[in-house]
Amino acid sequence: MPDTDFNEEDILTQASQGDRDAFGQLYERYLDRIFNYVYYRTGNLHDAEDLTARVFQRAMNHIQNYTDRGVPFSAWLYRIAHNLVANWHRDRSRRQEIPINDVPVLPSKGDHPEKNLVRSQEQSTLLRIIRRLPPERQNLLILKFVENMSNAEIGAIMGRSEGAVKSLYHRTLLSLRDQIGDQNINLDND
Amino acid sequence: MNRSKSILSEEQIHALEASLAGTLQRVTPPLEVVNRLRERIHFPEPRMIALRLRDWQRMFLVFGGVMSGMLVLITIARALFYLVRRHA
Repeated sequence: MPDTDFNEEDILTQASQGDRDAFGQLYERYLDRIFNYVYYRTGNLHDAEDLTARVFQRAMNHIQNYTDRGVPFSAWLYRIAHNLVANWHRDRSRRQEIPINDVPVLPSKGDHPEKNLVRSQEQSTLLRIIRRLPPERQNLLILKFVENMSNAEIGAIMGRSEGAVKSLYHRTLLSLRDQIGDQNINLDND
Repeated sequence: MNRSKSILSEEQIHALEASLAGTLQRVTPPLEVVNRLRERIHFPEPRMIALRLRDWQRMFLVFGGVMSGMLVLITIARALFYLVRRHA
């Protein structure tokens, strides 16, 4: 993931001194990741776009405060995103379900169309189950599977130890297993 | 799938992880969204706009400039009106 030409420390120093171009480089680097995180937490493109913009605007306004905290910049950004998403959920009287058509489903090559349809329905159901989990469990799954982060990296973002993340992951899988069983989703990947 | 309280078998873990990996895939934001976001982030922040409005010196210059411009326009309009009426 690290670029050879990208020295994040230098860029961060410049950005914290008000260099907008430097901040622009950070923005280009983290846009996709933050967008994905927000997208999976909100479930729709429109709010994901709006909240992603607000994450970066808030980061730009407070980047001077970042350097003193000693956490990776990505962790700091994810925390901003997490707080904004939490506010977004709080502002809504009820949680919005993900419209099935808004869920990105990638069909497997060579599969029969009917099989793809069943799979996409199962994925939609699984997404709905995931979005009913407590926020920290959703965060964990998104960071682990969408961002392919290790438990240590997730711990840095969530402010937990690696062991605590591992334990939370196990409990999350248990909870998912039980809920998937209730929904009769087939987990066999044949 | 057996429900043995708080124990997950290796098989269950693999099946769950495979399903999660298949469902939680990285999405690429549409290009128009990326472009809109890029434009939006380069706009002046509301805080900066508020700061500018609180800058009295700049406000005074802007207000003075607008008033002077309007005065010039009114003078030109009056002169033209006078000339047109005189020829008529």
